[in-house]
Amino acid sequence: MQNIEEVKEQLKNLNLEYRKIRDIAKEQRKEFGQKLNQKRKELEQRLAELVAAQESGEVEEIDLTAPSMPNKEIPEIKRGTKHPLMAELDTLLDIYSQMGFDIMEARQLDDEFHMFDSLNFPKNHPARDGYDTFRTEEGFIPPAHTSTMQYRALTKYKFRLDEVEGGGIENSAGQIAVVIPGRVFRNEDADATHEHTFYQCEGIFVSRTANFSQMLGVFKNLFSEYYAEDLNIKTQPGYFPFTEPSIELLIEKPKSLGGKGDGWLEVLGCGMIHPNVLKTAGIDPEKYKGFAWGGGIDRLVMLKYGLTDIRYFESGKLEFLEEF
Amino acid sequence: MKVSLNEIKKLVNIPEKMSTEELIKLIGSRLVEVEGKDDWSEKYRGILIVKVEKCEEIPDTHLHLCQINVGKKELVQVVCGAPNVRGGMFAAWVAPGAKLPADPSFTLGVRKLRGYESNGMLAAEDELGLGAGHDGIIEIDPERVGVKPGASFAEVFDLDDVILDIENKSLTHRPDCFGIIGFAREVAGILGEKFIEPKIPEIAAKKSKIKVKIEDAELCKRYECAVFEVDNTLGNEKYFSDDAVFLAKAGMRSVSEIVDATNVVMLMTGQPLHAFDYDKFVKIGGENVGVRTAKKGEKLTLLDDSEINLTENDIVITSGETAVALAGAMGGKSTEIDAETKNVMLEAATFSLYNLRKTQMDHGIFSEAITRFTKGQPKSGTEVGLRMALAKLGVSESEIQDCQVEKDEKITIKLSIKDINSLLGTDYDLGTVKQTLENVGFKTKGNLEVVTPDWRTDIHIREDIIEEVGRLLGFDNIMPTLPLRPFIGARKPELRILKTRIREILSDQLRANELLTYSFVSERLQKKVGENPENSYKIVNSISPELQRFRQSITPSLLVKARDNLKYGYNGFSLYEINQVARKNDGLDEDGVPIIREELSFLVLGDYYRAKAGAEFLLNRLGVSDYTLNAAEKSPGYFEIKHSADIATEKVIGRVGEIKRSVLRELKIDAPVAVIEIGMEKLLGALPKSEKKNLEFSKFPAVVRDITIRVSSELSYQNIFTKLNEALATKELVFSVRPLSIYQRELKMKNVSFRLTFADKNGTLTEKEIFDIMASIKNIVKREFSGEII
Repeated sequence: MQNIEEVKEQLKNLNLEYRKIRDIAKEQRKEFGQKLNQKRKELEQRLAELVAAQESGEVEEIDLTAPSMPNKEIPEIKRGTKHPLMAELDTLLDIYSQMGFDIMEARQLDDEFHMFDSLNFPKNHPARDGYDTFRTEEGFIPPAHTSTMQYRALTKYKFRLDEVEGGGIENSAGQIAVVIPGRVFRNEDADATHEHTFYQCEGIFVSRTANFSQMLGVFKNLFSEYYAEDLNIKTQPGYFPFTEPSIELLIEKPKSLGGKGDGWLEVLGCGMIHPNVLKTAGIDPEKYKGFAWGGGIDRLVMLKYGLTDIRYFESGKLEFLEEF
Repeated sequence: MKVSLNEIKKLVNIPEKMSTEELIKLIGSRLVEVEGKDDWSEKYRGILIVKVEKCEEIPDTHLHLCQINVGKKELVQVVCGAPNVRGGMFAAWVAPGAKLPADPSFTLGVRKLRGYESNGMLAAEDELGLGAGHDGIIEIDPERVGVKPGASFAEVFDLDDVILDIENKSLTHRPDCFGIIGFAREVAGILGEKFIEPKIPEIAAKKSKIKVKIEDAELCKRYECAVFEVDNTLGNEKYFSDDAVFLAKAGMRSVSEIVDATNVVMLMTGQPLHAFDYDKFVKIGGENVGVRTAKKGEKLTLLDDSEINLTENDIVITSGETAVALAGAMGGKSTEIDAETKNVMLEAATFSLYNLRKTQMDHGIFSEAITRFTKGQPKSGTEVGLRMALAKLGVSESEIQDCQVEKDEKITIKLSIKDINSLLGTDYDLGTVKQTLENVGFKTKGNLEVVTPDWRTDIHIREDIIEEVGRLLGFDNIMPTLPLRPFIGARKPELRILKTRIREILSDQLRANELLTYSFVSERLQKKVGENPENSYKIVNSISPELQRFRQSITPSLLVKARDNLKYGYNGFSLYEINQVARKNDGLDEDGVPIIREELSFLVLGDYYRAKAGAEFLLNRLGVSDYTLNAAEKSPGYFEIKHSADIATEKVIGRVGEIKRSVLRELKIDAPVAVIEIGMEKLLGALPKSEKKNLEFSKFPAVVRDITIRVSSELSYQNIFTKLNEALATKELVFSVRPLSIYQRELKMKNVSFRLTFADKNGTLTEKEIFDIMASIKNIVKREFSGEII
C-alpha cells in the first residue's frame, strides 16, 4: 500500500505535468487537460482515504450511545424552565405590544367598587353572584376577573385622549389602548378543568371612532398573530353589565391544534364599553366609544400543549415544570 | 335551562329547508349559548301504544300474564308486575330490540319469567324517562287522537324532539327568555320573521272578597290572585298526560293536575305561579292576603316538611298576620293542596329579585320558580300567567283580585340610524332596523323612536337598542376592520420588563425552575414558619382551611413545594416565583385597597453561600453592582439568625439566607435550604440608570499569580478582598481578583487563596515590575492584616 508521502509526491509531479500543456497542439489540449484532471481527482481521493485511515488508527473506539466514557462522571445539564403560563403571557403581551397596546399589571386584592360598582353592576344584583367571589373579613375581594382594573386603566390613560384634542388627526389619535394581565380567583372546587386560581388578560380600547367592527378586527388579527395562521372568528351573544353590546368571541380551531375548519374555541368575552363605565371614569360617552375584553390564559396554554388537567399549573411539581 | 325545539316550532315558522343543526347554530350565534343538545329522535324508537287484551294473574306471584294487541294479527305475550295492569287498558310497550329510554344501554329482549315467555315490557313513567312514577305502568287515554294498538308512542306524545341545553348565565338580564314564548319570539326575530303573539285567554273576572295588602312597594310590585272551585286534584289523574311529557322535556316532574298546570304555564311564560288550598288559607287568617318581610325569629314549615328560620330579608305571604308561604321560593305546609282541596287560590305575582336572591342563598332553594323570579319578571307577566293557567284548568270564570302598586311606564328611546351604524361599524338602513325591532315586539316611530314592550325589562338606553339590532341581524355579519392608530410606540412597564429579565436570568442562565403557587395559604403553614396569620387578610368564604389567608410572603409556599419535590426524588433543584403578597400592617393605598407588593422568592438547596452566589449573579446580570450584604439584625423570621443578610443598595431591597433549622424540622425538610427574597419595586429603584460599562483591556500579556494569605480567622473576607483590589488599582493596571479557596484547620487562623490577574495597559510587565507589585501586596497583607503570604 502506498503511504501518504508517496501520494503527495505524485500529486506534486502531476502539477508539474500541467505546464506541458503549452507544448501541445491546440486541438489536443482539451483532451490532455481532462486526462490530468481525472488523474488528479483520483490522487486526491486516495490521499483523503489514507489520511482518514491514519487518523482513525490514532483515535480509540467509543460507545456513541453511552452517556459518558466508562469510569467518567456522567455530564448533567440541568433544565432551567419558565412557568408555561408566564412564558405564554409574555408571548401574548409581545403581540399586544407590537399592536400598540400599553401594558398594566392587575392586583390580587381589590374592592367592591372596582370589581362591581365601577363596572355598572347594580347594587346587590344577581349578576354579581355569577362571579363566585372570595371576600376578606374587611370586605376586600381577590378579584374574580381582570375587569376589576378597567376603572384604573381608564383613569390612568385618560390623558391620552386629551393629548391630541384640537390638534390631532381625529381618526387616528387620542386613543386608550391597554392590556392588563393578572391572576384572578373564583370560589369553585378545583377539578381537571376548573381552578380557583387562574390567569386572565384584560384589554381596553377607547377612541372617538371605536366601533364593534374594529373590535372584531383586533381579535381576528390578535389570534391570527398568536397562532401564526389566518383564523376566522365568530360571535355568540353574551351578557356583561359593563359592556353593551356584549358578545363571546370564538375562533376557528387553529391547524396547529388539529383544527380542520369545523371546530371553534371560546376565547374571550367582550363588548362595547357601557356608557356608565366611561362616565364613572370621567370620560364623556357622547364623545368617546370603546371596547373591552377579557380572556383566560390557562386554557390557551392547555390547548397549546394538550394538557388535560388545569391543576398542574399551581402544583409546583418538577415533573411537570421541567417539561417546559 | 332546557328548551324543546318542538315547542318553539309550534310558535314559529321555521323555514323548511333549514336543518335542525342550522337552527341551533343560529340560536347559538344570535340568541344564547347552546351548551348541548339532547336528541330524542331515537330515544322512543320501538315503543308502541298497545292494548292489553287479556290479563291473568300468575299464581303465587305478583305477576300478570298479558296478551297484548300491538297492531298485528297475533297477540303478543308479556309478563307484567305492575299492580294496575288490567285487560282493556292502553299502555306503552317497549318491544324486544328497543332500548329502554331511561337507560339506553339496556336493550329489551325475549326472556322467560317463571316459565312464561315475556316479550319486551309494559313501561312505567320512570322507565320511559318521563317522570318519577313507578307505582304502575302508564295508562293511555283511549280517546286520545292517534291512539290505537301499534301506534308509535313517540308520535302520539310528540317525543321526536331535540332538547336544547341553554347556558342560563348569558340570559341573566332576559327574564322573558325564561319562558318558551319569549324564547320563540327571539327565534322568530333572528329568522327575520314577525312573531305572532299568543292570545291571552279571556277569563270572566268576578269580584273577589280577598284583600291584598303589600307592606312595601319595593318587595312586590304586583300581586294577582284568582279563587275557583275544583272537582278533584290529587291522585285521580288516570291517564298519562301531555303535561308530564312537557315537564319531562324541561327536566321537571309531574306532580298533580294543578301543580302541573302552574309549572307548564311558568315554563311557557316565565311567570311562576303558586296554588294555595283556599279553605285552609281562609281558616288561618280570613280573606286577607299580606306580602311583607319576615320578622325576626319567625318560622315557617315548607311544602317539603322542613321548618326554616326566616330572616328579615325573606318575603312571606301571610294569611292575616300568619306567614303561610316563602314568597317566590316555596309554599307552606299549612295551605298545601291535597286530595280534599275544594277551592284553590292561584297566585301570580312579582317579587323583589334582590330579596329573593338572598333568600335563595340563605335557604339553599334553587327551584325553577326562584331562578325565574331572580331575573326580575315584568309586572305584565302576572296577567298572562294567571289567565293561561286558569284556561288550562278549564276555568272560564273566576274571582280575580289584582293589586298593582304602580303602573308600568313604557320606555321610549330616541336614537338615530347614525348612532347605530357608528357604534357597530355597519351601514344598516332605517327600514331594516325598524322591521328587525318590530319582529320581536318593539314599536318604532319616525327616525327613530323605539318603544319597548312590557316584557323587556332589560332595555334602558340607546346602546341596548343597538345591541338588539346588531344581535338580531347577526354580529357575525359585521366585517372586521382595524382601528387606525398613531405611530406611537407602546411601552412595556419597567416592572414587566424586569420580571421577564429575571426569568431569563434565573431559568436560562441559573437553570432554576419557575413555579406558581396559590395566593392563599393556611394559618397552620404560617404558624409553622413563624408568620403571624393576623397580619394576613383572611378569606371569609374560603374553600378550605388550606386556603384561608392571603399570603404575606412567597417563601413558605416554595418551602412546601421543595419538600414535595424532594419527596418525589428530585434533588439539586432551585425554584422561584414572582408574585404578589399583602401584609395588613402595610396598610391601604390611596384607593383604600390593601397595599400589594410584588416579590421574588428564589429557593436553592444548600447553604448561605449557595444562595449568596445566586443573588450576586442575579444582581450582577441586572447591572446592580453597588450593594452590600449586612447581617440581618432584627429577628429575620424564617431566616436563620447569623446565617442571613440584608441586601442593601441605598435601601434594603431584600434578604438572602438559610432557612431556620427549626422551620425545616417543622416542615419535615431534611436538606439545607437557602432563599433569596427581593422586593420587585425596590429592585426597580436600585437598577442602574445607565447601562454604560467601563471597559478597559490591555493588549499585553497578563500575569497570573495565585497567592494564599494566612490571616486571623476573625478577619472578614470582604476586608481582605477590598484591600487587595485597592493594592492593584493603579492607573496602568487592568486586573482582577478572584477567590480560589478558604481553608481553615485551626481555630484562630485561616488560609485564603486568590488568583490575581493583571496586565499593564502600556506594555508587557517586566520581571521587576511584577516583583514590585507582588511585594506591595505582601506589604499590605502584613501591615493591614498582620498576616503573611504563604
